[in-house]
Amino acid sequence: MSSKGPVIIMELPEQLKQGEVKTFMRELQPLLDSPRPCVVLDCSKIQDIDSAGVEMLLQCLELAMKRDGDLKLAAVSPASAIILELMRVDRLFEVFDTSEEATRSFQTFAPVVAPQSQPWYSAGYGLADLKTAN
Amino acid sequence: MRLGAIVVIGATGEVVSQEKTRISLLNAAGTGKNALVGEPLACVEIAGRSMTERTIERLLAAGVEDISILVSEKAHKPEFRARFEDVHVQVVSDVPTAIREKLNEYAQAEIEHCFVSAADAYAETDLLDLFYFHREARQAVTSTFDRHGALALWVVVCAQASEPNFEISMGKSAGDGASYFIREYVNRLNHPRDLRQFAEDTLRGRCESRPSGKQIRPGVWMDEKADVHRRARVVAPAYIGRGSEIRAEAVVTRFSSIEKNCCIDCGTVVEDSSILANTNVGIWLDVCHAVVSGKRLLSLSRDVTVEISDPTIMRQGSSCATNSTRKRNKPIASVTESINDFKKEHASLRFWQ
Repeated sequence: MSSKGPVIIMELPEQLKQGEVKTFMRELQPLLDSPRPCVVLDCSKIQDIDSAGVEMLLQCLELAMKRDGDLKLAAVSPASAIILELMRVDRLFEVFDTSEEATRSFQTFAPVVAPQSQPWYSAGYGLADLKTAN
Repeated sequence: MRLGAIVVIGATGEVVSQEKTRISLLNAAGTGKNALVGEPLACVEIAGRSMTERTIERLLAAGVEDISILVSEKAHKPEFRARFEDVHVQVVSDVPTAIREKLNEYAQAEIEHCFVSAADAYAETDLLDLFYFHREARQAVTSTFDRHGALALWVVVCAQASEPNFEISMGKSAGDGASYFIREYVNRLNHPRDLRQFAEDTLRGRCESRPSGKQIRPGVWMDEKADVHRRARVVAPAYIGRGSEIRAEAVVTRFSSIEKNCCIDCGTVVEDSSILANTNVGIWLDVCHAVVSGKRLLSLSRDVTVEISDPTIMRQGSSCATNSTRKRNKPIASVTESINDFKKEHASLRFWQ
């Protein structure tokens, strides 16, 4: 697992099947329970995925969305893409060629510095700013 | 004038039997066992019958009296749906030698001319016209070609087989003799993609050959004992093979062919795909632009073959994973139960719907 700013990148195991799913989910669960989780799942190592694996991806997506976050897939091999298409879930995920691209896609939507036209006490300024102003 | 025919299954490559006598028989790709189906593509049923069977039908229709099917010992022995009386299947170790021996045998039986063909070179040419062309050209071997090149179909003078310079070759350098140009439909079966192409061509009416079974409504062909649930949708043109079952809410559309003893489970969509014999496709799936055989799926759009280890998605076998709808006493109940069970088990998969 690695992180780039608020985005957490996790590598999925080679086998994403019934046995491996629980272990991986245990690892991922705390991350998804945090507020606004931004998770990229790197699928480059996946060699075999079954319906339990797909179900896990959907569970993760559901958990991320519940907390106003998102889950994106990166480096999905053609074989895995075929399984996702077959099970009609491909359209539910944003899929990127690399985990860097997926990470960047989160940053585009990150909140930016408040524009000059807004008052100094609007969102984006903290308590320290308020004290300095006084 | 008596005619014979030799149809070869499963020989690959070029075999040099004698000096200057080259029997360069078959384009290797399509005749060997295929990774998707595990048998030569010429033996795979598509739209109800294999290419080998269709070739035999054409030969018999052209008045060929004796047909020999030579099967390389490494290849799968073909099974035919129809009973052909004058067709003899022989497993051989050395295909070129076997052809030579067979031609000599024909010559002794006073069969003067013989068609020699690779089973995977399916050509809907007028065989009699080809034969007359060969006779008028007065040559030992007449080769054929179409707009894509040489074809593994020849006409041979049987008595010439024992001559030292006798040659059958795929290439253009096959002697100085005249070659016969085939304008009609040809399918070379080099790749499983060609099976899919043939299914589509058959259903579209691009070739003479038609699917087996009956046309129950325009463009929808159903074979013996095929069972389509009343809440399933089959969009023309499509073919449902014998003993196959299409379950409730399933959709078969865009020139798809479901071969014998398949099961398409509830809610699954089969679009522009061929499901080869004895394949079970699970519940609520999308099979698009693919050829499926057992647990292997070839995606034509990605040109990738995937082996699916999860038997609930796809598997080899002739019965559906859920209860059969063929028990007519409770068809709707069983299907509804199976859908409900599935929904309970996979509650998180509600996105699918």
